[in-house]
Amino acid sequence: MKNGIRLYSYRLVIPALILYCVFFILPTITGLYYSFTDWSPMNDAILFNGLDNFRYIFQNEVTRLAIKNTLIYAVIVVIFKNALGLLLAVALNAGLKTRNLLRAVFFAPSIVSTIVIGLVFIPILHPEGLLNRLLAGIGLESLGQYWLSDAKIVIFTIAGVSIWQWAGYHMVIYLAGLQGISNDYYEAAKIDGANGFKRFIHITIPLLSASLNINLILSLIGGIRVFSEVYALTNGGPGNASQVLSTFILVLFGEGRWGLGTALNTVLFVFVAIVAIPLLHKMRKQEVEV
Amino acid sequence: MTGIRRKLPLVLLEAFLLLLSLVVIVPFLIMIFGSFKSSLEATSFDLSLPSVWMWQNYRQVMVEGKMVHSFLNGMLITGAAVILNILVTSMASFVIARKRTAVSEFLYYFFFIGMIAPMQLIPTIRLFKELNLYGTYLSVILIYCTINMAFSIFLYTGFIRTTIPQALDEVAMLEGASLMRIFFTIVFPLIKPINITILIIVFMNIWNDINIPIFFLSDPDKWTMPLSVYQFFGMYSGSNWNLVFANLVLTALPVILLYLFCQRFIVSGLTTGAVK
Repeated sequence: MKNGIRLYSYRLVIPALILYCVFFILPTITGLYYSFTDWSPMNDAILFNGLDNFRYIFQNEVTRLAIKNTLIYAVIVVIFKNALGLLLAVALNAGLKTRNLLRAVFFAPSIVSTIVIGLVFIPILHPEGLLNRLLAGIGLESLGQYWLSDAKIVIFTIAGVSIWQWAGYHMVIYLAGLQGISNDYYEAAKIDGANGFKRFIHITIPLLSASLNINLILSLIGGIRVFSEVYALTNGGPGNASQVLSTFILVLFGEGRWGLGTALNTVLFVFVAIVAIPLLHKMRKQEVEV
Repeated sequence: MTGIRRKLPLVLLEAFLLLLSLVVIVPFLIMIFGSFKSSLEATSFDLSLPSVWMWQNYRQVMVEGKMVHSFLNGMLITGAAVILNILVTSMASFVIARKRTAVSEFLYYFFFIGMIAPMQLIPTIRLFKELNLYGTYLSVILIYCTINMAFSIFLYTGFIRTTIPQALDEVAMLEGASLMRIFFTIVFPLIKPINITILIIVFMNIWNDINIPIFFLSDPDKWTMPLSVYQFFGMYSGSNWNLVFANLVLTALPVILLYLFCQRFIVSGLTTGAVK
């Protein structure tokens, strides 16, 4: 059927390819060029300014804070979304009576717009809001915080809300992975005398590698690209204390500093590439091995 | 005796998880109860039930928040982007899945970049300005269609490779049908399950997004629900949290309904690739 193969014409790819090249690849490439210019609606001409934008980004206090916040945020959400997602998945893979209900409840926040979640949490996280009142109610008043107005902790609070929203999403992916593991492995390990913890480390984790990889990639990239959570909860404040890369791009756009904003977008692009490429490479290698 | 010893931990685990589920449920309840309270009562932000259930809050918010309008904006933008997305990516995936050449392999990974790489926002704005499309529904539809293409191609290609036998197209080819016809009359009906999955997931991605309208739609008349609710919050959170809550409930409602009716497809779409 060699002739048949030849009949599959790339013409059917063309509409998708044109849209993708014009509206995604083209701006990505021109963006690289604009990153090295003083592009602004205030200037008549767009002038090449070498590495000025990048020098500014790595020297200016606010952009450095935005980079630092983005990285802190990404690391925290990757760890906690995956740890909680995995624990929930393991717990809900046991034969509990209410497992379907519990799965649906834990998953539910991830389908609602992040804006809605963020706005609901604003009063809860208010200094006199439910969270602080709850802490006071159980005698832990000292743990109460100015969750969204204390510059030192605000980025951690935002990460916490995001973990609340997405842990159940990662749980669902881990559950699918767990359900793909044959019970025979566990039976055999029990006969060999492996305890629950050992079975988890030596059977569950390795056989979960496909869902583990997907979850790591999704949470890490989502973490670095974070926008809506910050926009809804603080819009970068107090001051600039919770600015991340994506929200500060919006600020620079609003100020008409388009060249600088585009350069910051390029920094974001590079960060994503640095973490995504090795992970994807690892994923492909494992696909080949299995 | 051993029965009890084995079951006891499970009962404790279940009790603990039910307690933990309150952490998820309580914020939703605060929102729902708050939406039925008077504006004064709503400022308690707690789990108390409304003393009087004020259904009229919803009427007021529908009018003052122009919610029907933003709902329709969302339907137009999301609907058009999803349909265009499914049309172009299913065709492309069919060929990418069937041809197993270096070119098709390249195309697959070329499209895959779009799943990971963040888009360059300001240069894309300039592009649409030069096309005289900046600020239009069409610009946002094209962007949403494009940035969700990688995900759709990823799912379609996998599905077509594993479940649609190539012999089907070959028989039709021998009978002289054109490739376009084979795709739309034979293959497309067979990929219905994955169509629904992609439709729902891409729909939810776009429906819930605010990043694109913030940059690309300066006219509030064109805003979708999540962005409208944010603006509404800005105007009303000082005095009328009950209305803000009602607006939030209505904004969350379409996706929650979609989830209740289409749970199976959502979960199957998310977990593709999680199992080998």
